[in-house]
Amino acid sequence: MIRIEQVSKTFGQGKNSVVALAPLDQFIGEGEFIAIVGPSGCGKSTLLRIVAGLETATEGRITLGTSQLKRPVGFVFQDAVLLPWKTVAGNIRFPLDTSGVPRKVGDRKVEELVELVGLQGFENALPKQLSGGMKQRTAIARALADDPAILLMDEPFSAVDLMTREGLNDELLRIWQATGKTILLVTHSVEEAAYLGTKVMVMSARPGRLRKTYDVALPSPRTEETKTSADYLDLVGELKHMMRDADR
Amino acid sequence: MFLRSLLGLAGFVALWGAAVPVFNIPSYLLPGPIEVFDRICFLFERAELAGHIQVTVLEIFWGFLLGTFTGIVSAIVFARIPVLLRIFTPLILLLQTVPKIAIAPLLLLWLGLGLAPKVVLVAIVSYFPVMTAMLSGLRYIDKSFTDLAGVLRLTPWQRFWHVELPSALPGLFAGATVASTLAMTAAVIGELMGANKGMGFMLATGQENADTATVIGMVILLAFLGWAFFSMLEYLRKRMEDRFS
Ligand SMILES: Nc1ncnc2c1ncn2[C@@H]1O[C@H](COP(=O)(O)OP(=O)(O)OP(=O)(O)O)[C@@H](O)[C@H]1O
Ligand SMILES: [Mg+2]
Repeated sequence: MIRIEQVSKTFGQGKNSVVALAPLDQFIGEGEFIAIVGPSGCGKSTLLRIVAGLETATEGRITLGTSQLKRPVGFVFQDAVLLPWKTVAGNIRFPLDTSGVPRKVGDRKVEELVELVGLQGFENALPKQLSGGMKQRTAIARALADDPAILLMDEPFSAVDLMTREGLNDELLRIWQATGKTILLVTHSVEEAAYLGTKVMVMSARPGRLRKTYDVALPSPRTEETKTSADYLDLVGELKHMMRDADR
Repeated sequence: MFLRSLLGLAGFVALWGAAVPVFNIPSYLLPGPIEVFDRICFLFERAELAGHIQVTVLEIFWGFLLGTFTGIVSAIVFARIPVLLRIFTPLILLLQTVPKIAIAPLLLLWLGLGLAPKVVLVAIVSYFPVMTAMLSGLRYIDKSFTDLAGVLRLTPWQRFWHVELPSALPGLFAGATVASTLAMTAAVIGELMGANKGMGFMLATGQENADTATVIGMVILLAFLGWAFFSMLEYLRKRMEDRFS
């Protein structure tokens, strides 16, 4: 559960200050999958960073309902942020190694995750030897490593080709269904948002603010058929319309 | 790779050996490689050259260790407490800009002719490149790594050991490599100015006696020493990199 109450963020002071986020309210229930869309610079990353505790809100309050107090969220950054001196396996197991998980347990977990994101054979590769999409998949595996109840993803698939991307979307849905994680995912694609989300938050820029939160009433589980259903296409159309509107 | 560099070395020695008789160069100007080699062997047998090498190696070893250690530790402290950096910068810069040759006599006056003044001199010259490299490595950490550390709620110690230190490592080793050449120079300068042991002392004696073969022999041995020093740093760097992968 995540409760966002009147959260706003202003960077800088006085004349040079930038309102990145106007006061925003949103309640996110346990196990919801929230997709966030909006034009560049509307404060999507800022919102995620505040939820993660990387940025403090200028005003307002965030309440995280999770028992994982030490490490409440997993985060997939907009640009993978892999440690360049660590291998794929080393990066994936980093959260485990820094929370005292025994090596043996970690090894097994890493093996599982590598398979999950389809990086078999690249366990010992260094980040500089990976493509953008492979880096991103490594980052996703790392975020899943210590099984956080809340998963924050900032455009996790932006560097992945369409085919892989659709595969990863389905994989993500599967993980979500299997684990009941609460997921916040930022994307530039309204199609992706409608396909993945139980709710879609549409934001607009200057100042960054929440325009509207859509409830997605598509049946679960989502499949290829979902993408051709009238409800889905209607929602995509409406989201696009809202986005264009929001841009103005 | 190793073989090819050995080939280059052999070529150079052959050229040197050929040039001496061909151009009729007198031996007091440039003795041939065989003569130099003989001289080195002679010095090992009769003049305790091994002991002299040991003295120089010890000076470099302890001085480099001391300088590197204080450099790393003070960089960590400076990165944590920037006020200290501002307080100490003028002093460190002063110590760095003054020609080391000018400090050497002072150290000899204070600490005598033994190991101590050379160790201190080596430490002083090693300190600066290591400290600055480590400091900039620690200060200009990729901001996204800080975010990662924040999300994972790393403790300050974990942050240092798993993120800051490995990001600073390449710079640190570049600094240490610079320091290693300075360290060798400083040890020899210290010995040239006042010593009764060491390779610099042998150099000085060779010069006084117009003994060109000894001087060249020492230069060659110092080159080998520098090469060994460099290889050791490279080895250490690889080990550290493996440690963090
Ligand atoms: N550390 C910062 N200092 C000053 N301004 C910032 C900072 N971080 C973000 N901003 C500003 O806040 C606004 C929102 O930025 P944010 O990164 O949240 O946008 P975004 O919606 O994620 O954009 P994109 O889709 O391009 O990633 C922007 O105008 C940006 O310039
Ligand atoms: Mg962003």
